[in-house]
Amino acid sequence: MGGSFVARRLGQAAITIVAIILINFVLFRLMPGSPERVILRGTPNVTPERIEALRERWGLNDPVFPDQLVAYITSTLTGDLGYSFIARGQTVVDVLAQRIWPTILLFGLGEMVAIALGLALGAYSGWRRGGPIDYLGNSVSLILYSTPYFLLGMGFLLVFASSIKWLPTFGMLTAGRVYGSPFEFLADLGAHLVLPLATVSLGLVGQYAIVMRSSIIETLSEDYVNTARAMGLSEGRILRHHALPNALLPTVTLIAINLGYVIAGAITVEVVFNWPGLGTLTVQALTARDYPVLQGVFLLLSVAVVLANLVADLVYGVLDPRVRT
Amino acid sequence: MTATPGPVAGATRGRRSSGAGDFVRRFSRRREGMVGLAILTFFAILAAIPEVLVGPLQTAVTSIGPRLSPPIDGFPLGTDELGRDIVNLTVHGARISMTIGLLATVVTVAIGVLVGIVSGFVGGRIDAVLMRITDFFLVIPTFVLALILTPIIRDVVGSATTEVFGIRMTLIVIVVVIGITSWSSTARIIRSQTLSIKERAFVDRARVVGAGPGYIMRVHILPNVINLIVANAVLVFAGAVLTETTLSFVGLGDPFQPSWGQLLEAARSVGAPGLGAWWYFVPPGLGIILVVFAFTLFGSALDDLLNPRRGGRR
Repeated sequence: MGGSFVARRLGQAAITIVAIILINFVLFRLMPGSPERVILRGTPNVTPERIEALRERWGLNDPVFPDQLVAYITSTLTGDLGYSFIARGQTVVDVLAQRIWPTILLFGLGEMVAIALGLALGAYSGWRRGGPIDYLGNSVSLILYSTPYFLLGMGFLLVFASSIKWLPTFGMLTAGRVYGSPFEFLADLGAHLVLPLATVSLGLVGQYAIVMRSSIIETLSEDYVNTARAMGLSEGRILRHHALPNALLPTVTLIAINLGYVIAGAITVEVVFNWPGLGTLTVQALTARDYPVLQGVFLLLSVAVVLANLVADLVYGVLDPRVRT
Repeated sequence: MTATPGPVAGATRGRRSSGAGDFVRRFSRRREGMVGLAILTFFAILAAIPEVLVGPLQTAVTSIGPRLSPPIDGFPLGTDELGRDIVNLTVHGARISMTIGLLATVVTVAIGVLVGIVSGFVGGRIDAVLMRITDFFLVIPTFVLALILTPIIRDVVGSATTEVFGIRMTLIVIVVVIGITSWSSTARIIRSQTLSIKERAFVDRARVVGAGPGYIMRVHILPNVINLIVANAVLVFAGAVLTETTLSFVGLGDPFQPSWGQLLEAARSVGAPGLGAWWYFVPPGLGIILVVFAFTLFGSALDDLLNPRRGGRR
């Protein structure tokens, strides 16, 4: 039973990833100009031999279907995504590899802070429903939910770059600085991280609080909570031992499902603070119409989101056998 | 996967069909919904008659103010780096942002309703295929897809200067891209409602009388999901405005028709936040926050009243 559930989920994820590659292939054909020009844009010293070799390797002399499609899927799966042209002919994989760590650092930490704060605020609001914290928390959550992430960042920048100059607002490290010790390096990184991190966390916290609040309210009306009340357990004990664990499960799944939606908005924060991650890379690639890099970003983020969903589904399946149907 | 129509759904439906006056009365009791509606009315007026309120859209040529000036006499919200009046830009931005949002909502909801009704009503293999596609669009980061699609479609379309509803072709591409990337949740909602309506007696009766599937979907299913469509469209609008803003912010807007997102992008690229030039980005920024906030309030109030699955629940 459990085995077929896992196999089916794995199969769905694999099909989704193939479909993403398929979209990339179709987009690649749609682009104006011949494919080899798109791949080689920005590469110095392009000779006719090089173009011919490339056409051969990418199978561009073969019919579009099925030969070129198969060749495209094969090369994507073996990690060949073409060449970036803003990075003067470096491979897309190399470019993405340089930019992914700043994004993981910023976004990963931001998610953790937002989840911790959002779940706590949501749980408390839902528990003390109708109270002052609930009222305030709900309004603030809704307003934060309506605010584009980068706009929050511009607000922070306004306060910290022009009035209170406590924190650096540009980049990930002080340019040209030589570090005496690893500790100094971390301190500099940390100082640069504060404002973008605060922006990402604040941008995310509202929606997590809203989801957790409605989940806890739903849980508190369940029969077993009434039973616990009837047994005379204290409200605090009911919240901690009965309501919280059951309310957390759907919330965490929802967070995983929304990841794709959230990532896209959150990477725009990088642009405001010139954080050297995938968000600024995307904007640079857009300005220069560097399609191989854009497709690489799309592939990378989509696969990341599909995998996150897969993990969430499997974890949910382990914790709640009812969904394994 | 098949939803059985509960007797509850039928009961709420009967209660709801008791006239528009009743609906208005029940809606007006929802404070958040009314606040949302008031804010929306304000911005709808700005969007409807910008010329009357602030004159024609100022350009680099027609601007008369000093450059990047804080609020002064004659320029209550200061000017941008070209000397254009921020009040003028923000009010015209309301028209552009809200028109794009509206058109994108129409496209999104049209695709979602079509897929949802066909999928739910026809069922079988078509349903399975359509829902696979819907799930795919629910999972992948559609914003990133929109990011790539927009420049590619623009390159394919070329630099056509035709306007649709007074909106330039570059922005119409954004409308279409938002539509084809964000219909999936609408399709899901409409499908599940179609499944329960399909089981009701009047659909069977129509079938027995000899009505074809196309006729039944148009005449019997569609009017019964219209409430849901309205409630969903309001929420879709909020999302569409946010998506357009973000797309413009990453450089896909049109400087000749500056939406609020485009203004924010311009403000960021001249370094307005770092220079302390709050007047440049706070007005369009507040516009976006208020419109999305208002639509979310208005939409949830409508959803509570119109969505049979949430009837009466808070």
